[in-house]
Amino acid sequence: MVNSALVIGGGIAGIQAALDLADRGVEVHLVERSPSIGGVMAQLDKTFPTMDCSICILAPKMIECSRHPNITLHTLSEVKEVRGSAGDFRVKVVENPRYVDPVKCTGCGVCSEKCPTKVPSEFQMGLGTIKAISVPFPQAVPLVARIDTDHCLYFTKGVCKLCERFCPSGAVDYEQEPREVELNVASIIAATGYRLYDPTEIGQYGYKRYLNVLTALEFERLVCASGPTGGKLLRQSDGEHAHRIAFVQCVGSRGHRVGASYCSSACCMYATKEAVLIKEHEPESEVTIFYIDLKVFGQGFQDFVSRARDHWGVRYIRGKPGEIREDPRTKSLTLWYENTDTGEVAKTEVDLVVLCTAMLPHESSGELAEVLGIETDEYGFLRSKDPLTSPVETSRPGVYVAGCCHGPKDIPESVAEASGAAAKAAEVIGMSGTGGD
Amino acid sequence: MKYALYLGCTVQAEQYAYEASVRQVLPRLGVELVEMEGASCCGFPAFSSISSLGWHYLSARNLAIAGSLGLDVLPLCNGCHLSFTETQHALEKDPHLRQFVDQKLAQEGLNYSEGVRPIHMIELLHDIIGADRIEEAVERPLEGLKLASHPGCHAIRPSEMQRPDDPEDPTKLDDLARALGATTMDYPEKTDCCGSLLSTASGRTTLSIAGEKLKAVRDHGFDGLFTTCPYCFKMFDGRQRAIGATIGDRSLEVPVFYYTQLLGLAMGVEPEKLGLELNMSPVDGIVKRITGGSN
Repeated sequence: MVNSALVIGGGIAGIQAALDLADRGVEVHLVERSPSIGGVMAQLDKTFPTMDCSICILAPKMIECSRHPNITLHTLSEVKEVRGSAGDFRVKVVENPRYVDPVKCTGCGVCSEKCPTKVPSEFQMGLGTIKAISVPFPQAVPLVARIDTDHCLYFTKGVCKLCERFCPSGAVDYEQEPREVELNVASIIAATGYRLYDPTEIGQYGYKRYLNVLTALEFERLVCASGPTGGKLLRQSDGEHAHRIAFVQCVGSRGHRVGASYCSSACCMYATKEAVLIKEHEPESEVTIFYIDLKVFGQGFQDFVSRARDHWGVRYIRGKPGEIREDPRTKSLTLWYENTDTGEVAKTEVDLVVLCTAMLPHESSGELAEVLGIETDEYGFLRSKDPLTSPVETSRPGVYVAGCCHGPKDIPESVAEASGAAAKAAEVIGMSGTGGD
Repeated sequence: MKYALYLGCTVQAEQYAYEASVRQVLPRLGVELVEMEGASCCGFPAFSSISSLGWHYLSARNLAIAGSLGLDVLPLCNGCHLSFTETQHALEKDPHLRQFVDQKLAQEGLNYSEGVRPIHMIELLHDIIGADRIEEAVERPLEGLKLASHPGCHAIRPSEMQRPDDPEDPTKLDDLARALGATTMDYPEKTDCCGSLLSTASGRTTLSIAGEKLKAVRDHGFDGLFTTCPYCFKMFDGRQRAIGATIGDRSLEVPVFYYTQLLGLAMGVEPEKLGLELNMSPVDGIVKRITGGSN
């Protein structure tokens, strides 16, 4: 019998599913496209509504994944082909080269010290830089450096090789090639997450045009102690501390003209969380959240918002700003809005604007659906078999979904789904066990 | 490059300087302008609120005249350009309207043809002629002049209606000013309305909307404002004194130009040929600076 499962995607949902299965004695292959597992949760500062440190909760799980005897990590890897059926899938995975031998690399960081080329850090949402050879972020799993071949001097111009010269364990290997791995698994869980809407096309908000307009995930890095400013809310335009901050909800969500028509469901809560973070750092800050409706439906969520409003003094204004304007001298921003509670049209000036952007289907969603032989929904998310009675199953037996790959959701819900999908995936192994042996 | 020149009511009734400057500069850039015999009002905005049939008929009629010349049409006004564009869309979508218009046009032997494209002045200068070509034609660069561009609402909105520039971040007029050697700067009020269209409803509102913009232009340290729309121009230029009185700012003195006037000056055309004596805002100082006082 085949006693193994494939989990695609190494975010919190994939990690949870992999750990659940591995703890049941199932051999798990965890495939992740990027150089490290962790996903978006690793980039978050805190989690709502408990305000726990996000990476403090996640990092032990990430490490457990790498140490668990039943889990094999495949980072920088993509699933290319799936044949067979529930209980006996044949999966082709391509592992892309890292140009660093993961066995030899100790993650010491000497290569990054010596590397002369800085590149924008994806983990820091482009607000900070890393070197062309580096571990993507301090808690990365595996803790192995990787060469960014788009920027590395050796790969672009054929010169340098400093990292190879200085690596104390001789781990740098410019000759690595993509490697194809064939896996035999009984069941598959897709947990590939989502992508964030790029608000550039909403010209009236000036994202990319105005330096002090950020997305919520960029803001999350800014407010995080391990972020590019060490947790200080410094403006991109002048490095000054931002004291007046406005959040704009539903940017690309619930729209008819651009973005997605659905509610992204986590934004009201994470905006409130980020607002409270600002207040915790500096209680005198003026924080305003512009919203259409406050969708705070989970356990403890309303209390969280009430506390933000009443205890911390976060200002909630029902109204979506029509326009954001930048003062050419100070680079401060003026939001024009209609307060739909009072009918008053007003403007307010702030130092920093945070756009809470929609959660969209991951770029890979369509391709992955094809590889897995399952469907996507009208928005492009992977489709559940039945959202009511079998939310984590798909149209193909043995293939399950968890987390944001089949619709926007928050961390607790993603984790719950991951455990559900893991239980379903384990059932298949049980069945093939009785049938095959 | 050959276009049917559509002057429109505002230009023919009062904004002669725009026509004069257009007729000076465009031929020098290789544009041949052909007169439109029998052209009428574009129908917008006066008629559209009363009779949309009448509006579309008038617009279609002008397009038909351009069509009979076998040329694309160059309206000088933002409003006329939008009117033609909207009518084209309406005729495409509504066969009954098309039938009505065809019948009416047939009475004077005219034919509506879909192929006539309304060309916007910004589109002609920026996209067709190009800032490079304009830069080459400059003899007297407008060095040291910091100018605020005013595209005007209908040059950029409605955004789904094929406008010549970006609705939120229009930059083409700035490119064109830089081609003349002037300095430009993005300013928050750039896309603000001139207020003109409200004038029939509320004169005071109109003047204070325009006033906010002119004040901002002055406060940002611009030497002057320029546009390609005669409707906006007549507000900022012709009514500037009334604007100052309304907003209680009698020191409001913002020189206002048509882009084609600045282009003409930069190309070395004599100021009197560009109708600059018709500008009611205080432009003399800048004109002297550009011509070196030779005028």
